[in-house]
Amino acid sequence: MPETYAPPVQRQPFENFRPYRSTRIVNMSDGDATVRIVRDVDAGLAGSWRWAGQHPTIRVPGGPVENLLYVIDFTLPEVTIKDTGPVTLSFYVNDRLLDRVRYSSPGVQHFEKRVPDGWTQEDQEATVGAEIDKMWTSPEDGKHLGFILTSIGLKQQ
Amino acid sequence: MIAALKAILGAALTAWACYAAGSFLIGRLKLKLERAERFPLAFVLGAACLHLAVFVLLALHLAYWPVLVLLLLGAILSVRLNKPFLTEANGASESNRYSWRQILLWVALFGGFSVLYFFDALAPEGSPDGSSYHLAFVARYLRAHGFERITTNMYAALSQGIEMLFVPAFAIGKHSAAALLHFVFLMALALAIFAYGRRIGKPWAGVAAAFLVYASPVVGIDSSSAYIDVAVAAVVFSVFYWLEIWDETRADNALIPVGLLAGFSYAAKYPAAVALIYALGFVLWRSRSLKPALRIAALSAIMILPWMVKDWIVVGNPVAPFANQIFRNPNFHVITIQQWADYMSRYEIQNLWTLPLEVTVRGQKTQGLIGPVFLLAPLGLLSLRFATGRRLLAMGALLLATYLYNVGARFLIPELPFFALALVLALGNSPGLIAALAIFHAASSWPAELRDYATPGAWRLDRVLYKPALRKIPEDKYLRSINPGYSYARMVDAYVPKGERVFSVETIATAYTNRDILVEYECAFCNLMMDILNNGWVAAYQPRVLEQLKFPERTARRIRIEQNALGRPLEQWSVHELRFFDRGAELPRRPQWRLSAWPNPWDVQLAFDDSPATRWRTWERAAPGDYIQVDFGQAQAVDEVRIERSYDYNLQADVKIFDDSSGRWMAAGASRETTAGRPDANIRRYATRELALRGIHYVLITDNAPGAFDFRGDPQGWGMEKVVEEPGAHLYRIVP
Repeated sequence: MPETYAPPVQRQPFENFRPYRSTRIVNMSDGDATVRIVRDVDAGLAGSWRWAGQHPTIRVPGGPVENLLYVIDFTLPEVTIKDTGPVTLSFYVNDRLLDRVRYSSPGVQHFEKRVPDGWTQEDQEATVGAEIDKMWTSPEDGKHLGFILTSIGLKQQ
Repeated sequence: MIAALKAILGAALTAWACYAAGSFLIGRLKLKLERAERFPLAFVLGAACLHLAVFVLLALHLAYWPVLVLLLLGAILSVRLNKPFLTEANGASESNRYSWRQILLWVALFGGFSVLYFFDALAPEGSPDGSSYHLAFVARYLRAHGFERITTNMYAALSQGIEMLFVPAFAIGKHSAAALLHFVFLMALALAIFAYGRRIGKPWAGVAAAFLVYASPVVGIDSSSAYIDVAVAAVVFSVFYWLEIWDETRADNALIPVGLLAGFSYAAKYPAAVALIYALGFVLWRSRSLKPALRIAALSAIMILPWMVKDWIVVGNPVAPFANQIFRNPNFHVITIQQWADYMSRYEIQNLWTLPLEVTVRGQKTQGLIGPVFLLAPLGLLSLRFATGRRLLAMGALLLATYLYNVGARFLIPELPFFALALVLALGNSPGLIAALAIFHAASSWPAELRDYATPGAWRLDRVLYKPALRKIPEDKYLRSINPGYSYARMVDAYVPKGERVFSVETIATAYTNRDILVEYECAFCNLMMDILNNGWVAAYQPRVLEQLKFPERTARRIRIEQNALGRPLEQWSVHELRFFDRGAELPRRPQWRLSAWPNPWDVQLAFDDSPATRWRTWERAAPGDYIQVDFGQAQAVDEVRIERSYDYNLQADVKIFDDSSGRWMAAGASRETTAGRPDANIRRYATRELALRGIHYVLITDNAPGAFDFRGDPQGWGMEKVVEEPGAHLYRIVP
């Protein structure tokens, strides 16, 4: 006969505890950032950022779908803007266009916008990306570069 | 530099003690050996004896540094009591003489690899298994001066015969001493193969086969790490060797080393116990008598029983962590061990037909390679024309049968001496051809050449590590550069208070921390901790299905839900919460209730704790008759059962009520209604609270681990705070 046990202490619910807020943001310095790259992000890490190509895309795990924000931190270097002039970036979630913004000055940029309901699934990975309309060609090695990516992902408001 | 010298001293003293103990025993048994046989056979036999002495010291909690040193010195002094056991000088036979050219060739070949191996063994020990468990237990036993009751690590339940020898070496020279001692086993093995060649009158075969084994890439890196496989190979080959001596001399006393070493094979590594089967079969066949076999069996028991008894006492299973279906215990889950074993039988190899190429040439999927020369191993079948060849292949085949349970390259090491000898014997009296084979093997096994054809990432030696070995590169810096698990271990030591246990989702270099690290797959408790954390973030694991089973009101004392389907392989049955109702009101869970379940009775309370983060699971393939049962302690009216469960497994259960008059379980005839639900929004916090309630306050999450992203995203939402991070891992503390 298997052993028998009395009922255990009953667990009490948590009062006044802030529920989890999903933050699925990939920092380029994260140890697992490389495996999350879908395309157009340089595998070589420089400090806390990586060079992005024309349409960098990252996958993030599934998670809560309510009140989601698309978040991206990036830099438009002076050296590229000087050559390309103003650029337009399009932002995507699961390959659906979320917004399009024109940038005419170099520097550190932050963009975030609410993701419409239904664009992501709780138990499915999502992709987040950005697309730059004009590429810059490095005079040193002829590489075609877009912008500097620091972090990108989804978070709950 | 002092560390390097201490490592050499620790290994040298232990090796010397092994040799001395073996010499003493062989002398007492009045067994005659030839000069070349003396060191290897005495060393390995002495190792078996010394392992038992260390076992006793650990069992008695007397494993203090001075006691261990005294043990070694005592064994070394015992050699003075020994009578010489060399055969009368009969002089080298014509066939056993070598030309200077041959001697130079072999010295150059063996010498080159010896330098490579010696410096690697002397370098700080950062090998994956050496630093994560072989030496972790050695260090832990030394801290406790004896065995500890470890129920939370399946590797601790494996026999640890070779690790017993690491104990005194480590006590003197720390981690590298153990690796160096393992390297001594390689030298002993090579010498034994060489001596065997001389014994059968084919010295060229002996020296060439010894070199094929010695220079094999996986043998090289294994023997220069604190692993055990090469030592196991030396033990198994010694069993074979002593059997050959017994067969030749029919000296009854030769059965004593056979029995002890056959038992030591089991003590060194479970699969090597086939050496005992071979020994029993061989003496039965050759003597046509039961008596020598019984003698071997009795002697082997001296080496085997301590390990079985230890496991029986500590984890309730004499052959733990295996056979948990037979020896039921709360420490290891049937399905976890099954999944682990399934993985070992394939690793990442999709098509087993690619295994020969993988294990000889590529080496990445098999965690090492034995070298392309062993693609010629089938030629060894030609040695079947010799009696010696038939015996070698019989032992090799027996060992090979166990290889299919773990296809890692190092699991072929015990077979290599037999196949190497068979291969060389098959080539006949052609020293030129054999020398060419050896030169090819040397060239293809040297690190610089390996880089050209082995898959990147294959476990192998890369270069002569003289700078780390001589500590010209600081030990800490070197280990951080080769093993991230070492950095995590140091991080744990620096930030986790003494006495605290750490739950880790990945293996780390536990030999370098004093904290108790629980790794998710290594024990039943660890599996449970992982399942609870996964419940926090994996939707499929959460209680999102509610089954309501309604039936006409009955008065019952005992009620159960019983599963009636056979799950798919690896499919389990799980229940988060089980509730009973009467007329819409839940029956409060009373202290007099008695809960039971089958299988996995130990976790049944998880289905009655009112926590969405915990669940009872079968932890083995679901089968008809699996149940969760409640004895209310008194007659109780009931008309509904509610089962809250996840949707990762979709097995359903029926309600049964015990009928006192007939003494049988009767179906309640319940109707079923299934609805979807959502768990408490704070389920993550529930999960970490469960860990804290079980004494786990620190969690180590590597960045690539499933769920790492979820923890990192909002530790506070999990009820945790980030303590510190290293590149590749985060350490969290559960907030009270």
